[in-house]
Amino acid sequence: MNFEHCIRCTICVENCPVMRVNPDFPGPKQAGPDAQRFRSDREKAEDGWVLLCSQCKRCEMACPCGVEPAQIILKAQQRYGLEHPHSLAHLLFANNYYLSMLGSFTAPLANRIAATKIGKKIFDAMSIATYIPFPKFRFHKLSWEKKTPNRRSRKVAFFYGCFINFYRPDIGRKIIQLLKSFNVDVVLPPQWCCGLPSLGNGNLQLARSFALKNTASLSNYIDAGYDILYSCTSCGLCLLHDYQDIMDIPKAKKIAENTYNLHEYILRLVDDNYIKPQFQEVPRKLAYHIPCHLRALGIGYPAAKLMSMIPGLTCEIIDDNCCGLSGSYGFKKSNESTAISIGNRAVARIQKTGAETIVGDCGSCRMQLGGLSGLVTLDPAEVLSESLGITLAKKVKS
Amino acid sequence: MSVTEYDAIILGAGVAGLTAGTFLAGRGFKVALVTSGEPTACLSTGCIDVCSRDSNPLTGINGLPPAHPFHLVPEKTIVESLNNFQAAMLDMGLPYAGAAKENRVVLSALGTFKTSCLVPSTMKAAPQDAKDSIHIITFAGLKDFYPSYVISRRKNTKFSVYDAGVVSTMGIASHFEDKEFLESFIAWLRDQNIDEDKIAFPAVLGLESAAEIVQTIATRVGKPVFEIPTIPPSMPGRRLFNALKDYFRKKGGDIYWEWPVIGVEKSGKIIEAVMTASKGRPSSLNGKAFILATGSFVGGGLTAGRDSITENIFNLQVLAPGPRETWFENDYFSFNHGIGRAGIKVDSSLRPAETNWENIFVCGGILADTEILKNGCGHGLALATAHLAAQSCMEYIR
Repeated sequence: MNFEHCIRCTICVENCPVMRVNPDFPGPKQAGPDAQRFRSDREKAEDGWVLLCSQCKRCEMACPCGVEPAQIILKAQQRYGLEHPHSLAHLLFANNYYLSMLGSFTAPLANRIAATKIGKKIFDAMSIATYIPFPKFRFHKLSWEKKTPNRRSRKVAFFYGCFINFYRPDIGRKIIQLLKSFNVDVVLPPQWCCGLPSLGNGNLQLARSFALKNTASLSNYIDAGYDILYSCTSCGLCLLHDYQDIMDIPKAKKIAENTYNLHEYILRLVDDNYIKPQFQEVPRKLAYHIPCHLRALGIGYPAAKLMSMIPGLTCEIIDDNCCGLSGSYGFKKSNESTAISIGNRAVARIQKTGAETIVGDCGSCRMQLGGLSGLVTLDPAEVLSESLGITLAKKVKS
Repeated sequence: MSVTEYDAIILGAGVAGLTAGTFLAGRGFKVALVTSGEPTACLSTGCIDVCSRDSNPLTGINGLPPAHPFHLVPEKTIVESLNNFQAAMLDMGLPYAGAAKENRVVLSALGTFKTSCLVPSTMKAAPQDAKDSIHIITFAGLKDFYPSYVISRRKNTKFSVYDAGVVSTMGIASHFEDKEFLESFIAWLRDQNIDEDKIAFPAVLGLESAAEIVQTIATRVGKPVFEIPTIPPSMPGRRLFNALKDYFRKKGGDIYWEWPVIGVEKSGKIIEAVMTASKGRPSSLNGKAFILATGSFVGGGLTAGRDSITENIFNLQVLAPGPRETWFENDYFSFNHGIGRAGIKVDSSLRPAETNWENIFVCGGILADTEILKNGCGHGLALATAHLAAQSCMEYIR
């Protein structure tokens, strides 16, 4: 909706996690609809502070008038990126996909270097924050898995995303096992980075090139009768929202109409009486950290509904608690203290619940909260697998 | 289309919607609450105005015009709704002072008195007359609060300024949640050797633990301490919203954020489901009954066109005060704008009058003839009508 619908009520300001801790960021109202009135195509963009927005989209969730401050800021970020040289960290994270491919290919070496003092110095020189350990690359990527469809009546193409592929392929394998146990055929379509890291680092062009490749690939699967599934909520938000909106990708609507969150899909199988999962007791006390981007998807909290069917499990939902890392945002030195301050507040809120384990759909949220709190973190799919007795058939060494 | 079944679906996340939802969820019904943004309660002072026309709110209600929806709620239910609210807020660590039979005042940011019934414990110590001498502590750079306004209207009032290092309301409130910051602040405050009877602050003393923080400061300084509500962003309003929301969830209710209702499924005299368009597919929530608590114009329940007023979800007939010329008085600050009477006319069970719908119940600011500004009855009316609507809804579902 048009920025002129803003009535300046400041509900978005109340929801901005960055503004709370970083006085340099003027907040979603000023950086979004307020500043938009002064932005002109005929003048060079001088609003460098738009880069301080972490794109959590909480302002958009809160706005009672349908204004989308984060979207306005995202566009300003792209424009700023076009007109100004990018910092090394921005360049690197925009190309996170290719870097991760390299990291994963050289996993044993890359991980070892990243963990050493010299590695830290290298990160430092590149203005990359090291307050939480950089995630470990896995040599055996998920994309290497070979899957043969069994012609079951439900079939899905799994968009696993970079985090699962390069860092936690084990979660990806569990998800595949889980879906198979629900009598669903799973294939892994050819896929690239969703494009969000490029977008978040001011490189719309690169983001679009990823998006076009993904759309072409996924579109073929949709034509062949597959539903598309994602488990990373940020990939999901990018596929469903950004492809249609800021990236303006042809066929984006088709992708969005056929793409489901993993747990949304499982819940639908339950609703349709396609499956009757026999959840076994899981005696755990969980704090369910709702990633900002899950909330922004506007599909409710399907994993929470599934977990509520598990006997013995207590799960407290915490959904106004941005973790602060926001993908690559917190990994940039310039945002480090912002990310830590937001993260520590989030951790304090979680610790108040007395939970021993944090569960969350987003890999980078888990990295941040686990790193700052020392608590165990799990993907909801791991909790479901535990309850259904699903374990990985063979261990694959990383 | 994804279909999920509920006993009751609440539309709107304000005081009325969350209270009605809690009432039903607490009695074992399956309740979903849908909202497209955060409520205007976030912008409020957090005070529960029941009827500010009289020193006794219950007597005040008796004197309201016959068409006022307060007359539909038995006095017993009004008192019960206030007692339940106080018990709930105590449970959530946000105690409220006051009682149904007596109004009290809080000091406003302009130095005037605002009459209310239940007030957050952080405003309990506010002077009830002009006698007490007051020392105001404000914060360097805080642009939403000017102590001079209060001083211009009150004798024996002084102020001091503390530099919190951040200038936004949210930023300062967030700092107060940090133990170290609070300690250094209290040390500074003790050094001021304040002579006045009471110490006042703009309402920025913390986000979720404000009651505790105010208590701590008062004990350590040895003087009564109170907050003065500010213009939005309003911390007391946000605390109220957060506490109501967490309480609703604690009672087992589900919340769907970013769920603008764009369509309704009906059959005969029954509403069967509400639909929303996400970026992908429309999804719908089925319910046996629906509680409409979307608020009036700012809240998003009503839209005023050039010559007519529409209700945004069920397209119910809206009582307009008359032709457009009668909507507004010439005096902008008048309490008698005709538009204040606009809303939905209801019968004694809070079903919309002049329609055939059996399973819609209406409560809160969207009701007709409330004249909330004039009567000072916003949140109080929301609590009372929410109880009545939920009771009617419960009888209907059974």
